[in-house]
Amino acid sequence: MERVVVIGGGGAGTAAATITKRLNPALKVSVFTEFTDIAYSPCGIPFVHGREIPSFDDLFLSTVERYREDGLDMRMETVVTDIDLDRRTITTKNEPEGFDQLILCTGFFWEQPDVPGVNLEGIHYVKDIRKSMEFDKQLDSMKRIVVVGAGPVGVEMAGGLAHRGLQVDLVDEGPWVLHEILDPDVAKPVHDSLQARGVTLHLGTKVESFEGDKGGHVCAVHTTDGIFECDAVVTGLHKVPNTALAEAAGLKLGTTGAVSVDDHMRTSAPGVWAAGDVVEIPHGLNMIPIVGLTGAHAYAQGRVAAVNITGGDLAYDPVWVPWGMVAGDYTIGGFSMGENLAKSIGIPYVLAKGVGITKARYYPGAEKTFVKLLAEPDTLRLIGGVIHGGEGVKERCDFLAFAAKRGATLYDLAYMENIYSPPIGALFEPIQIAAQNALAAQRENKLAVA
Amino acid sequence: MSSLSDARRNLRERSEKHLRRAVLSELGRGQPSTVQPYQPKGGRLWRALFVPVYRRVPWSAKERAMGALGMTATGWKAPEREPAEPWRPPADMADRVQAKPAAPTEAASDS
Repeated sequence: MERVVVIGGGGAGTAAATITKRLNPALKVSVFTEFTDIAYSPCGIPFVHGREIPSFDDLFLSTVERYREDGLDMRMETVVTDIDLDRRTITTKNEPEGFDQLILCTGFFWEQPDVPGVNLEGIHYVKDIRKSMEFDKQLDSMKRIVVVGAGPVGVEMAGGLAHRGLQVDLVDEGPWVLHEILDPDVAKPVHDSLQARGVTLHLGTKVESFEGDKGGHVCAVHTTDGIFECDAVVTGLHKVPNTALAEAAGLKLGTTGAVSVDDHMRTSAPGVWAAGDVVEIPHGLNMIPIVGLTGAHAYAQGRVAAVNITGGDLAYDPVWVPWGMVAGDYTIGGFSMGENLAKSIGIPYVLAKGVGITKARYYPGAEKTFVKLLAEPDTLRLIGGVIHGGEGVKERCDFLAFAAKRGATLYDLAYMENIYSPPIGALFEPIQIAAQNALAAQRENKLAVA
Repeated sequence: MSSLSDARRNLRERSEKHLRRAVLSELGRGQPSTVQPYQPKGGRLWRALFVPVYRRVPWSAKERAMGALGMTATGWKAPEREPAEPWRPPADMADRVQAKPAAPTEAASDS
C-alpha cells in the first residue's frame, strides 16, 4: 500500500491528511505531530483568555479518535527528527519510517525577543493549547501582564486580558499598533478602543531585558520607556517558518526563509510537498513571496497538496490576503496592502476614500464604515485597501480581495450593484462611495498619484 | 542554504526593514495618536543611501530588477488580471451626472 506521511497537525496538515484519505481511501496516510491535540483553533485562544469564549473545549473541532475512525494513522506526541530523501524515510524515536509521498506542514514558531532574560519562566507564547490552558489557570492569580509586540496576536491578547480585568501594558517599537498591516489614519480609533478596555500603550518603545525573581520567574520588563512590573509576559512578535527539517533535508528555501513551493505545493524534491506556515506564497500583485498568512490559507494549501498527490491537477493562486480582526472592540481589515506597504515597496497608487454606513441611517445600530482603496494610477485597477468600523468589514475585504485578483477597477466598483436592506445595508455601498469619490476627483484632475 | 540564497534573503530582510522604517516615520507624522518609531542604532548607510536611491527608481525598473535578482516566485503563474476590458462610464458621464438632479436620499427611496 502506498504511504503518504504528513508532518504536522495544524490546519494545513489536517486538511492534507483528511482530504488525501478521502480522495484515495486505498492510501495509508500517517500524521505525525509533536502535540497532544489536533483539530483545534489556536486563533480562538486569545478570546478564551479574555473570557469572550467560555472554554477551551469550544475551540476543538474534532478528536484524534475521530480521525482514526476515518482511517488515518495518527502518531500523536511524536517528533520527527530527520528526513532522508534518498531512502524515502523519516526518523521518529530513532526508528526510520518509510514514505512514498511526504507533506511537510511543520508550521511556525514565534520569534523570541532578542534580549537578556528571554528564557525566564512566565514568558508565554500563544500557540499550544495545552500550555494556554495552564497559563489560563495561572492568570486567575495574576494582576499585571506585559504584552510584547503589537501585531495581531499581541493586540488580541492585550484586548482580551484587559477585558478579563487584568492590568495590561502593551509594548511595541512601532509608532502605532499593527503598524505592519495598518495605516496610521486608523491608529486613533484602534488605540482609543484598546485604551477604553484598559490597555496602556507604550509605542515607539523597545524592550531591553526581562527581569526575573529569585525563583527564575519574570517579574519585570525593562524598556526604553521605563520598567514595568508584571506577573507574566505574553509575546506576539513575528511568525517564523519552522523549516529546520526541510533545511536539513536540503529542500530549497526562498527569500523569506520559508520553504519554496510551486503552485501545486511541490517542493524542490520529487514526491515532497509542503503547505501552511512553513511555505512562502507569492503576492498576487507583484509575485514577491510572503509568509505569515492565515489558517484559512493553510487549510486551502493543504487541500491543494492532497488533490495533486492523489492524481489531480489543482493550482493554488498567488494571494491577495484579505485580513480582518477586532482590536479592542473596533473592527479593522484590509486586503493586499495599505499605503504603508505600498509606499515601502514603492508601488505608485491613487487613493479612493469614502465613508458609508453599515445599515440604513434610520435603522438602530447603524455605524460608519471607512473605506480606503488603492488603485493603479493609469488603469485604476485595485491594488489594495483598508476598511474599518462597524459590521461587514470582513465581507467587504473578502470581496475586494477577489475583485482585485480579477482585475476590477474603480470604474467597476463605482457602478457596482449592492444590497439595500435597512437592517443589513444602506442605499449607498461604502465601497461605491469611495470609488465614486475617486472618479469625481479624477474628473477634476485632483486624483494625485502617491 | 547556498551563499546566493543567503545573500538574497539578507538583502530582502535588510532592505525591507529600512524601507518600512522610513515610511513609518513619514506616514505617521501628524496623524493623531501616533508616535515616532523606536530608532535603533546602525543602518546609517541603508537610510542615507539605499532608501533614497530605491525611491528614485521607477516601479517598472524595480520590478525588473527584483525578477533578475531572483526575488520573485518561480513555478507560479502570474494572475490574469484582465479577464475583459473593464466597464468604463461613457466619456460624457460627468456631464450626464451633473445634468441630473441630486442623488435620491434613502428616505425618498424607501418603499
